[in-house]
Order: sequence, then C-alpha cells, then structure tokens
Amino acid sequence: MDFLNLSVSTSWWELSKPPLDISTNGHLIDSLFVYTSVLAVFYFILVCIGLFGFSYLYSQKRNKTPYYTYGNKKKHLLVTAFIGAAVFLSVDLNITRLSNNDLLDVFWKWPNPKTEKVLRVEVMAQQWMWSFRYAGPDDQFGTADDIVTNNDLRVPTNTKILFHLTSKDVIHSFFVPNVRLKVDTIPGRITRVWWDANIPGEYDIVCAEMCGTHHYLMKAKLTVYSEEDFNRWRSTSEKLALNANDPDDKNLAWGWKWEY
Amino acid sequence: MKRNELQNNLAMTVVLISAAMLFVTLFMGYAVYRSSADVWPPVGVAKVSLWLPFLSTIFISISSWYCYQVRLSVAKNDISAAKSQLWLTTVLGLAFMLAQSGLWFFMKSSGVFVTSGIFASVMYGFTWIHAVHVVLGLFALGYLRWVLRTPSPYILQKTINVEKFWHFLGVVWVVMFIGLFVF
Amino acid sequence: MSGGYNEIHPEPTTFWSKYIISFDHKVIAKQFLWYGIAFLGIGGLMALLIRWTLAYPGEAFPVIGHLLFPNSAGIVPPDSYAMLFTMHGTIMIFYAITPILIGAFGNYCIPLMIGARDMAFPMLNMLSFWFAFLSGLVLLASLFLPLGAAAGGWTSYPTLSTMIGSPGAGQTLWCVAIFLFGVSSTMGAVNYVTTVITLRAPGMGYFDMPLTVWGLWLTAILNAIFVPVLGAGVILLTLDRVMGTTFFLAGASATSGSGDPVLFQHVFWIFGHPEVYILILPAWGIVSDLLSFFSRKPAFGAKATALSMTAVSVLSTIVYGHHMFTTQMSPLLTQSFMTLTMTISIPSAIFFANWLGTIWKGSIRFDSPMLFSLGVVFVFGLGGLTGLHLGTVTTDLYLHDTYFVVGHFHYTMAASVLLGGYAGIYFWFPKMFGRMMNETMAKIHFWGTMIPLNGIFFGMLMVGYGGMHRRIYNPFVYDSLKRLMPINEMITISAILMGLFQIIFVINFLWSLYKGKKAVNNPWNVGTLEWTIPSPPVHHNYDVIPVVKCGPHEFGNPNLKNGRDFQYQTEELVQGPA
Repeated sequence: MDFLNLSVSTSWWELSKPPLDISTNGHLIDSLFVYTSVLAVFYFILVCIGLFGFSYLYSQKRNKTPYYTYGNKKKHLLVTAFIGAAVFLSVDLNITRLSNNDLLDVFWKWPNPKTEKVLRVEVMAQQWMWSFRYAGPDDQFGTADDIVTNNDLRVPTNTKILFHLTSKDVIHSFFVPNVRLKVDTIPGRITRVWWDANIPGEYDIVCAEMCGTHHYLMKAKLTVYSEEDFNRWRSTSEKLALNANDPDDKNLAWGWKWEY
Repeated sequence: MKRNELQNNLAMTVVLISAAMLFVTLFMGYAVYRSSADVWPPVGVAKVSLWLPFLSTIFISISSWYCYQVRLSVAKNDISAAKSQLWLTTVLGLAFMLAQSGLWFFMKSSGVFVTSGIFASVMYGFTWIHAVHVVLGLFALGYLRWVLRTPSPYILQKTINVEKFWHFLGVVWVVMFIGLFVF
Repeated sequence: MSGGYNEIHPEPTTFWSKYIISFDHKVIAKQFLWYGIAFLGIGGLMALLIRWTLAYPGEAFPVIGHLLFPNSAGIVPPDSYAMLFTMHGTIMIFYAITPILIGAFGNYCIPLMIGARDMAFPMLNMLSFWFAFLSGLVLLASLFLPLGAAAGGWTSYPTLSTMIGSPGAGQTLWCVAIFLFGVSSTMGAVNYVTTVITLRAPGMGYFDMPLTVWGLWLTAILNAIFVPVLGAGVILLTLDRVMGTTFFLAGASATSGSGDPVLFQHVFWIFGHPEVYILILPAWGIVSDLLSFFSRKPAFGAKATALSMTAVSVLSTIVYGHHMFTTQMSPLLTQSFMTLTMTISIPSAIFFANWLGTIWKGSIRFDSPMLFSLGVVFVFGLGGLTGLHLGTVTTDLYLHDTYFVVGHFHYTMAASVLLGGYAGIYFWFPKMFGRMMNETMAKIHFWGTMIPLNGIFFGMLMVGYGGMHRRIYNPFVYDSLKRLMPINEMITISAILMGLFQIIFVINFLWSLYKGKKAVNNPWNVGTLEWTIPSPPVHHNYDVIPVVKCGPHEFGNPNLKNGRDFQYQTEELVQGPA
C-alpha cells in the first residue's frame, strides 16, 4: 500500500505529468492539452455546481413544492440554446482551430531534405522489434552501405528527423512519449512522421498498437546525441556496416527506395 | 388487419435496410480496392468472361418476374397458378445457383484461385456472400410453398415479404454483375 | 413473419413454453437480464485479473489464481492476458451492456411504456434471445480451445486478427459469435422499431413517449443500420481466416497480400462509433426520465432532449474517423472528422442543460434509482469532456492508444451505462418481480460503486496522460512507466473494492427476489403507463388497452386536487382556472 504515503516526496500531480518533452514542438501538444483541460474543467465545474447545488437546494426537505414547468418558455429555450452555442464557440471552434493550425504549420509541414538539414530514417516494425535504417554515404536507401540497427535509434540534436515507416506483419504504432507523437505502421503502406529532439539522453520508443502476445516487450531505445557525437557514431557505423553487411541476409534487405 | 400490414411492411423495410447495409459495406470496400489499385484486374489476372455471370443475371431476373407473378396470383386468390409460378421461381433460383457454381469452377479452372490475391478475393468472396443469401431466399420460397398449402388471411402478406426479399437479392446481383464483372 | 395485433394471447402453461421459449416480452426481458448479469460477472472478473496483472506483475492472483492458471503458479501469463482484455471488451460491450440495457430494458419497457400487450413479433423476439444465447456459448467455448480465445483486442484489427497474427480457431469463433450476436441484435431492432411505430396506445404521440422509449428506439434504428456493417467486416475477416482470401492482408508476411488492413478499421468504426451511442442512448433515456420522476417535476425541455438524442444519433454516423487519426488518413479527411466530431458537443450540451434544468427547483427524492441517475450525469460529464482531448487531432496523436483513451471510454461507455443500468434495475425491479429491493443495501451499493469507479477511471486518465500505453502486460518493462506504479496500484485497489461492492448488489437482488417487501402497483408514484397495472403485470399486460391523454412527466401540477402530485398518462391534463 505504498501508494498511500508517497505524498511526502512526490505529489500525485507530479506523478501524472507526461514525460519530459525533448522536442521543439511537443509543447504545442502539451499546451493544447492544458488549454482543453482548462475549458473542460470549467464546464465540468458548471455541471457540478448544478448537480450538487441543485441536489442540496432542492431536496425534498428544503423544497416541498417543485416548480411546475416544462422548460419550454422562451427564457428557458434561450438559456439552453445559449449553453449549446457557448460550448461550441468557446470550446469546439477554439481547439479545432488551434489543432488545425498546429497541424498545418508544424506537424504536416514535412521537412524538405533538399533545402534543410534533415535526417531521414526508414523504420520497419515487426513482431516484436523495431528496425531502423539510415542511408549510407551514397544517400540511397536499400543499398549495401546502409546502417541498420535493431531496437536502437540514434539521432542528433537540432536536426529534423523524417521517418518513413512500414510493418512486416501486423499493425504497430511508433510512439515516442517524449516527443508526444505517434503514427501507426501498417503493412503494405508507408506512413510518415517527423520530429526533432533537443535534449541529449536515452528515452523509450514503444509500440502503442496491440500487436500480439509480446506487444509489451516491443520497445526500442532512443539515444539523442549532440551533433558531433552523432557524426562520430555515424561514420564509425558506416564503416562497420560496409564490412558487416551481408547481401544474402534476407533479414537485412528490407530497405526500400525513398520516395517523395 | 391494417396494422398487421403496416407492421409487416415496416419490419421488412428494416430487414432489407440491414441486409442492404451489409452489401453496401462490401461495395464500399470494393470501391476502395478498385480505386487504390493501379490497374484492375491486377497485372497477370484476366478479366472473368462475362457469359456465365450474364446467364446468372438472366436466371435471377426471370425468377424475380415470376415471383412478382406469384404475388399477383395470390392477390387474385388464384392459389394453384401461384403454386406453379412459385415452382418456376424456385427452379430459376436453383438455376442461378448452378450458374454461380459453374462460375466458381470456371474461375478456378482458368487459374483464378481464392488465394491468389485481392481480385480473386472480391470475385469469390462477394459472390459467396450473395449466394448464401440466395440459399436463404430459396428456403423462404420453400416456406412460402408450405404457406400456400393452407388458406389463411395472412398468405398475401407473407407472399409480399418473401417477394421483397427475392427482388432484393436480384437487385444486389445486378449491381454486383455490373460493378464486378462488366465495369 | 406473422404480426402481433395487440390481441390477448392465451397464457402458456408448460414450463418449457413459459420460461424457455417464451414469446412473452416480460419473460424474454428477464432472460436477457440474467444473461447480461452473468456475463457482467465474468467480464468483471476478467477486469480484476487485468488490473491485478498491471499493478502487481509477476504475483499470483489471490484466491483463485492457482485454479485459473495452474501452469504459471497463479500468475496471469502474457498470452492469457491478451485474451483477457480482448474477452473483457467483447463480453462487456456485446454480452453484458447490450443484453441488459437493450435486451432487458428494451423488451421490458417498450411494450409496457407504450401500452402494448407485447412486441410486434413475439416469435422473432424469442429467436433474438436464443441467437444471443448461442452467440454467448460460442464465445465462451472459444476460451477452452487449445490455443485459447481471440487475443487481438476487441477491435480485432487485421492483420493481427488474420492467420498471420492469430493462428488457432479462437479468432474465428470470435467472428462467428459476433456475427450471431449481430443477427440477434438485428432481430431485436426489427421488433423495437416496428413496435414503437405501430403499437403505441391510442392518443400517444411520439413526444408523449417516455424518453426511455426514445432512447431505446433510436438505439434500435442505429442497430438495424450499423450492426450489419460489422457483420460484413467479420464475414470478410472469417473468409480471410478460413478460405484464404486476402481482403485485409498486406505486407511482407502475406505471401499474396494485396488487400488493405486499414479498410477493416474503417468498416469497424463505421459500426463502432454508432455502437457507442447504441450503448449509451438507452441509459440517457432512462436517466432523463428518472431525473424528472424523482425531482417531482416535468422533464425540462423533454422535446429538446429527445431531438438532441436524435441529433447525436445522426451525427454519430459521420464522425467515426476520429478513431483512426494515427493511421494517417488524408489530411482533408482528418480535418473533417475532427470538425464533425466537435459538433457532437452541441446536442450533448443541450441535454446536459436539460438534465440540470430538470432537477432545478425540483423536490428531489434521493431514492437509489435517482442516486444512480445523478451519478450518470456526473460520470458522463467527465467522460464527455475528456472526449474533447481525443477528438482534437494533435492531442490525440499523443493520447491515442494510451490509458487516457481507456479512461475516457470507460467513463462514457462503462461507467455511465453501468450506473444507468443499475438505476433501471432498481427502478423497474418492483414492476418486474413484484417486490422491492432493499433501499439501504442499494445506497451502500451506490456509494461503494461510485467512489471506487472514479478512482479507477480517473486514475486511468492520469496514467494515460503520464504516457502509459494500452494493452501492455507489464509496465515495469519501461523505465518511464515505473513512476506511474502508485497510480496503477490505486486503480487496482479501487477496482477490487468496486468488485466487492457488487456482491452487495447480487445479494440484494437475489434476496429481494424471494424475500423483498411486496411491491404495490406504483411504488414510486410515477404516471407512465406501466405503473397503472399490477406489479408484476399479468401475462397480457393490459386488460384494456389504455388511452393516453397527457405526457409521461406530469408532476407537481399546482392544479392537482386529488391528493397526488402526479398524473397518470391515462388522465386528462388538469387545467387551472382560466
């Protein structure tokens, strides 16, 4: 029962905070969440005031004679319509607009490898493993100099990372809690996602979509390097890759040609 | 009596909407497959020859027409005519099933196996699902034959219900014929 | 089909025709009730096994663990865990909520509340139950297969649910069971729709129907339209599994794959989103009525409530895409689904306002049905509002497939429907069985359910926001989830508490069945038609078909002079001096 006495060190509020945001844009999602929550709490408080307030004020003991009304007077209809409209205008339109702006300005604004610094990574999900593929010195995917890693993604800071993902068997979902984004990996089609990571360290990559018995074990390690460290790792790995790559190994030959 | 009629019509409408939704879902899926494929049928697969499905269409259309005649006869209280028309309806329904089985054997012998991809899946799967409904329809025709044996005030209503279902199967087949085979 | 013409049918005499293949809607309702409560118990036990595993991974489940999992020393193994959450979802949605809310209350309340002697098609009604029964048997049988039951989640997304991810017959039997269930639901829907349209007592317009009937009727319409969509989906899935077609197969593991796994998701949610409302609409209807009954004043804006429920039903059919934001549909679809989803909050806000308007200036009696109804308003408020986070695309990208979703849909679908169902059971028990339930035990049951329930589901919202994803067997695998363990433990302890308090309900139910105080015809002083006849009603319900002269919520009319504060629907509305 240690959950009862942990208030000393960490409050429950602290506990349920989302994991550290390591990306440039994760705060957009966090702040929209908080914004939505504030609105939701506001309306929930209204509901509670009505629910508990009326229950208290108008209990049989305190109010012997109920007010005989069908609630169809003009005044009542106006109040009801006002509440409907208020919810729509204050909550729905607002969060839809904010979310839409974020999508168009950030999350759907795909980085262009030709004009900006972008690291491209191909991801292959399978039961129960993540494989990552970086283009080698030739900048082409599916060639012998690709760096291929399993359950081990390493990325530099200050770089947009563009993922193209697919799955070998069942649907998985590529979820990095620390950047707040997830996207399904679907057999037979390629999905994409981009983010950047600015705080060096090690983080979890998880599979968020039920993918079989060992769904819970399908995790990969995300290592965020500074740019120098990343370049060092990359050049070492490229040499290793060229030596170690076995063209007959079917398990390694899953890369595909990068399109659009 | 009036209320009974209304109830039957309503209930049959709900049944047909439900059954239609099942087929609508299938056609929606077909539309997705069709529109996301570069070429249809996929490369290496030949279009299924039209003559067997066309034969099926003829059978089920005439069958539907006879089913309509059954209802007219029952409405005129001409039960013996209704019985022979019902007989024809049923035979044509069986002929439809025969033509469908022929179609499946034909597809198999021309190298389109159930397991050979999405084109075959659609062709076999959809026609199977329709065929199962036709079998249900044939049972309904059998039930109607049994109903016609004994006079009762509800014969006409029951005939109308069965007739609607049989027409529905015909319509679904025609849509399938045009959508899957011709188009 | 032969019709029902509201004539008096002779009462069946043999045990077989009276209790087993009975055509009587009241008996069928009770069959559905027993069936639903039994499955509720099974599904609830599964929930406890799931929760235990999440809070105390690697520890044997207390008391019955060794019995259930002898091969793993009482610990739930990972493959059984997947089966448990799959079956928990399937059972609770299709085999517990649906039979209780739609099967039991639908069958019991619709004919009685609209003044009919039975359903329009009594035989179809009987078949509906037995198809549901068969479906339940198939599902339970799948638990005893060598490779176990379906384990791909209640959503059964391919390609996990095809042979690639789920060998063995469990998933196939799941499809068969769901299809049979769909047949049963459609039969029920045919009956409900027809009955409400054709068998309303003379004088009863659509807006004179109690809102319970409105809710059930809308549910039936949605059922008739959307259950077959799932039917088509599971047929294709079955063909993929059994016949080797490739409708939903794609990717490297599918040798001849050229199908589309996402298509199943579309089909599933075209059904699945209306299904959410199929489950909640009867509860909304019941709550709308009970709030008025126990506040002793007319339902505030009853017409607007009915129309809002209708609007929600219509909207529910065009918003399903919000379940699939992470599959990366086209941006246009994504934006449209987000916007459409948001519009649902308008009718929801309206009937919330009406619910609060109903208790405003009432004279509220806090009997157990009322407590449960107020509970529904509370938990559905929380559930509905957390939907905002999930309907918004960007926040959904973080929250999708986390426990936040689990918390949200349990608040809306499980908590509100469960409380609504209990409200209904406590309210109609006297009419069904002719005896009252024990009020003290009912109140203990309410608080014992309500408080832990919020502990469970609010806890889920918290761990979800904390980043815990769904359907994992052991949170300790992830360093980032270890800090959430105290909350997980709190959820589990709440769940066990809530489970224990349900025992009080079962005891109360069984005890009251035989030993409860005899109920009078109208113990709650309510004016709807079912309270004008004896408790329990005679076989043909109404000796004389009633004629309806006023609405279902006539309470507190100051012109009433007969010592009652309510009017029966069969009485002319009392008018004041002009």
